[in-house]
Amino acid sequence: MTAWFEDVLEFGNAIRNNDAMSGGIGPNYPIGTALEIYRNNYRGNLQGALGLAYPVIRQLVGDEFFRMMAIMHIESRPSKSGNLHDYGAELSKFLASFPNAQELPYLPEIAKLEWACHMAYFAADIEPIDIVLLASIAPENQDRLRFLLNPACRIVRSSFPIVDIWQAHQPGMPEDFLIDLDSGPQIALVNRRNDVVRVEALSLPESAWLEEIESGATLWDATAVVLENHPDFDLESHLVNWIEQEILVDFDHEAKEN
Amino acid sequence: MQPASHFLPVRAGIGLRAQHYEQVLEMLPPLGWVEVHSENFFEGGAALHTLIKVRENYPVSLHGVGMGLASPGPIDHQHLSALKRLCDRVQPAAVSEHLCWNSTGEFVVNDLLPFPYTRASLSHVSVRVEQVQEKIGRRLLIENLSSYLSFARSEMSEGEFLAELAKSTGCGILFDVNNLYVNSKNLGVDPESFIRALPSNAVMEYHLAGHSVRDGCLVDTHSDRVCNEVWDLYRLALQQVGNRPTLIEWDNDTPDLSVLLEEAGIAQSHMEHRHDSMV
Repeated sequence: MTAWFEDVLEFGNAIRNNDAMSGGIGPNYPIGTALEIYRNNYRGNLQGALGLAYPVIRQLVGDEFFRMMAIMHIESRPSKSGNLHDYGAELSKFLASFPNAQELPYLPEIAKLEWACHMAYFAADIEPIDIVLLASIAPENQDRLRFLLNPACRIVRSSFPIVDIWQAHQPGMPEDFLIDLDSGPQIALVNRRNDVVRVEALSLPESAWLEEIESGATLWDATAVVLENHPDFDLESHLVNWIEQEILVDFDHEAKEN
Repeated sequence: MQPASHFLPVRAGIGLRAQHYEQVLEMLPPLGWVEVHSENFFEGGAALHTLIKVRENYPVSLHGVGMGLASPGPIDHQHLSALKRLCDRVQPAAVSEHLCWNSTGEFVVNDLLPFPYTRASLSHVSVRVEQVQEKIGRRLLIENLSSYLSFARSEMSEGEFLAELAKSTGCGILFDVNNLYVNSKNLGVDPESFIRALPSNAVMEYHLAGHSVRDGCLVDTHSDRVCNEVWDLYRLALQQVGNRPTLIEWDNDTPDLSVLLEEAGIAQSHMEHRHDSMV
């Protein structure tokens, strides 16, 4: 290894693991003071990133708990990206095995939902679907259409009412609310439209259909799978709505050409 | 969008932060240009769309904090591609990064970290600067760092390193005057020899900021007005290097926009006075 790399690695380990550092020169104050500044910056920047990505978790557990949780998270899961906004993807997994959070079993699922919102906020821009082109597809070819979901779109399944919990902790919501944690599972759909990240609840057939589409199924196949278990599923009204809401944002080119 | 302006005007600008977006777009204050942190606008969404509106009114400088040009491993191509896409969308007047590392290969320290200035590190950083310049198809400006420690292994000063880097890669230099001041107090760097080491024609931009003091150490927190000593150094730089686009940076405890505009006004007047004395 090139000699200067060794200094860099030693410096990195001194920051992250509190190791000693021999290659650094102490300036007009002890080298420990310098390393403490770097250690504080390191943890502070990652804590800040977690705080920005997880405002609902923060409200649910309180600032003090959140700070302690963030410190332990940083300890066990280092940053892997130079972009601070990428930090925290694994908070849900971390919380699932975090002993101090076992009393709030819905936390990991709220974390998953918040990360989906965070991703949606930064997702690539898209053009809405070309309605005229879509309308021009011959009826006999429509069943073979493969729709594309908005890159901001995420479906999060939970055994708790996560959509209600998330909504109640948005800015401007009343502070006194009552959520029955036993009110059953909820499936959240995250999307972004007109730059605003939205979260809404999906029914089982809706989520099943969208997940089929997400995995690349044709209109026909996705609908057939859902109708098997949910014979009342009304595709047409959903289709119109999801196109309008920019959840379906394109369809495959093969179908366009036909 | 207006046609791209390929150079920053030789005027004062401000670092534009989220709390001032709306006000700046509403007031359109007479600023030469604005600078933003590149990573906050990667991919798409609300932040990027606001920046595009800002770009319709001001030249924009994209200032990266995450490329880690001196990290030992290979460059992060995902990060670089995201920067390239941002450049294509925003058509910035300048793109800059810091002379620092941030990744050991095992983990990333999301900060601006110094490294030993040696022939070997120079050739390593040069290759990576060239990779970035090739990808984004434009000259990259590299900023001197504020450091809280230095390395026994260094063979040259940071100023000499930057001069060599500019020579070998054609990159520009972003001269942060506050960082130089912080290093002069913390590490005993001689400001005058730093300035002398820089090739004037490669210096493309100045940064000015405030700092704070912790346990006798000056910390580059961008949390205050520019101090008198830094204004003195700035005037010295204007004399020795010349007038360049100058940015007021303020990232923490950010004050009213009017305070930033006031600071920018002071920088502007220093440039104008320097110009007067040259005529």
